[in-house]
Amino acid sequence: MSVRRVAVLLRRELLQGPKSFIFLWSVVLPIVMSLVLSLVFGTLFNDKPRLGIADEDSSRLVSLARESPSIITREYGTVNDIEQAVKTGAVDFGIVLPEDFDRSVTDGQHVEITAYMWGESLAKHRIIAQVTLQDLVRELSGQEAPVSISINTLGDEVSIPWSDRLLPFLVLMAVFVGGMFLPATSLVTEKQKRTLEALTVTPTALREVFLAKGILGFTTSLTMGLIILALNQAFGAQPGLLVLMLALGAVMAAELGLVLGSLAKDMASLFATWKFGGILLFGPALIYLFPEIPQWIGKVFPTYYLVESVVRISQQGGGWSDIAANVFVLVGLDVVLVAIVALAVKKMRSAMA
Amino acid sequence: MNLRAIRALVAKDFTLFFRNRFFALITLLGLVVYVALYFVMPGSVDGTLDIGLYAPAWSPAPDDIQQKGLDIHVAESEDDLKDGVVAHDYVAGVVLPGDLVEKLASGQNPQIDLYFASDTPEETKEAVASLMRELIYVQTGQPLAVDFSTQVLPGPDMAGQQIPPRDRLRPLFAVLLIVFETYGLATLVTEEIEHRTIQALLVTPVTVKDLFAAKGITGITLAFGQGALFMALVGGLNQQPVIVILALLLAALLVTGIGFLIASLAKDMMSVLAWGVLALVILVIPSMGTMFPGVITEWVKVIPSYYVVDTVDRVASYGSGWPDIWQNLLILLAFDMAFLLIGMVALRRRFQ
Repeated sequence: MSVRRVAVLLRRELLQGPKSFIFLWSVVLPIVMSLVLSLVFGTLFNDKPRLGIADEDSSRLVSLARESPSIITREYGTVNDIEQAVKTGAVDFGIVLPEDFDRSVTDGQHVEITAYMWGESLAKHRIIAQVTLQDLVRELSGQEAPVSISINTLGDEVSIPWSDRLLPFLVLMAVFVGGMFLPATSLVTEKQKRTLEALTVTPTALREVFLAKGILGFTTSLTMGLIILALNQAFGAQPGLLVLMLALGAVMAAELGLVLGSLAKDMASLFATWKFGGILLFGPALIYLFPEIPQWIGKVFPTYYLVESVVRISQQGGGWSDIAANVFVLVGLDVVLVAIVALAVKKMRSAMA
Repeated sequence: MNLRAIRALVAKDFTLFFRNRFFALITLLGLVVYVALYFVMPGSVDGTLDIGLYAPAWSPAPDDIQQKGLDIHVAESEDDLKDGVVAHDYVAGVVLPGDLVEKLASGQNPQIDLYFASDTPEETKEAVASLMRELIYVQTGQPLAVDFSTQVLPGPDMAGQQIPPRDRLRPLFAVLLIVFETYGLATLVTEEIEHRTIQALLVTPVTVKDLFAAKGITGITLAFGQGALFMALVGGLNQQPVIVILALLLAALLVTGIGFLIASLAKDMMSVLAWGVLALVILVIPSMGTMFPGVITEWVKVIPSYYVVDTVDRVASYGSGWPDIWQNLLILLAFDMAFLLIGMVALRRRFQ
């Protein structure tokens, strides 16, 4: 094996790779998905009523509402804007605060507020929005509650926010889309255009071509994994360990890509295989999405050991002792895959001979 | 037009389509997965706040606090109440002390204990606390000096009849299934251009018109067939089936036009995927409006698929009829004609 030849091939891959649609796809898709999913699950799947306020003065109620944890508050400039927001369902409940609202409330005068309710809002959202608003108005007027409320917590279940549940999916997508598809599509394209045969009549060995493509897949995979963790602020207290886990995952992705690329005859077969194989890779992410599914099922999937470690380190403050077993399993899987890649190279060489 | 030639071309295209494992697999799996996803999603809306109450010395309390949106469950003992909270039978358990009324009457500040499961979000705890405070204000004769004059928009009030999440997703699934066929059609045409079979066909009695008619029929059948089958399986044709079918047919015409356009631009299957992703992303945007009301603005009306999504959603979920959606169908038809024309002109220039 010549390091110089591998470097030359890698340089060619680096120059040609970014021009392909797959490269763009593997870089853009995880980032776009991460942003879209944070928007969807961060705000839209939030089970809080949305209150819209159009303030004709500068009432303190607006800032009180903004600080309330029970509701999501949005401000609107005009009555027309708030009507439109309620009509489209952007907010569940909209109110128009009249001028001098704060003074009227403090003086104990009777005030009438124009309110709009979205016809499709949930009954519980309506009631929460209204009682929260009433509570805030009483706070504004300086009324003291006739009771004290004591909040007690029972049980030891922990609520896992959707944003946390989605992290495994995002990490897997970042690591495997680019890491697998770049080497796989690159190999298939070379096979289809017969440039692979042309290359191998030079002193270049097939394993050098595979290695160069694998390095490109590994680099893209690791980089995208790091970007996704950074975007989701999920580096935790042990960033070094996380990088190690992502690197082992990236090796697995690149190796799988090489195997897939060597087996697939054309792009159609490649994507068809992905359609079936995808579930094997993304299985653990689905299990994390729904904690009610028995978590041991995840261990059947090879990517579980990557995902579990990332979750342990970034979300549960885990360290080496918590993930050591996973590291050894991942290293073992990577070694097995190296052997499979070597077999694939041998098979392809004999097919080309 | 040579009907026999068109029929032969359509039969050839279907054979080729299903011989391409990628698209054949996606077609079949897509339909199965979308139908399965639909049925896995919640079919009803949980619109109430369930609260457990233990009030040993205040028997009329449940009626006092029962109101629309609240579902009060009376517990026999404090332990029962706590068990109910842990078992998630209700979101909160409220214990009203035995001397509550006396203490309130004498101006003392009694304490109300609220119990929540440990995984209850903070906002729910705060909301139930606000609710209890407000109820006690009212009990102690301190009504709020603020009245809300409330108007329901856009009307009618659908409290208790809200659209379940899976029905909100129905237009998205239908559009996705149909739009995905741009890939299928564009690949069929691109392969013919790549392999130069299109030129071979044109030296036979088959005319360019026959070719477009055949490809159009293939595209429309594939796209419309899947969309209509999906809607039939998920109950989307229960109301005004003619309108829904017409909307899906117009949507199929639209993706056929877009498929022609993509085929005229794409060099190979990878370019079809690249252009197809762009088309898919743009055409799916209007579905977000039905899934998440209020997130998109009026500009979405420049995207032709808006008129499919809006029609399917309004008809299937809200029972709208011809007077409400005829304009949508007309605009959609105009988009169809424009895309088909542009697509055919572009494609004709490519292979002539």
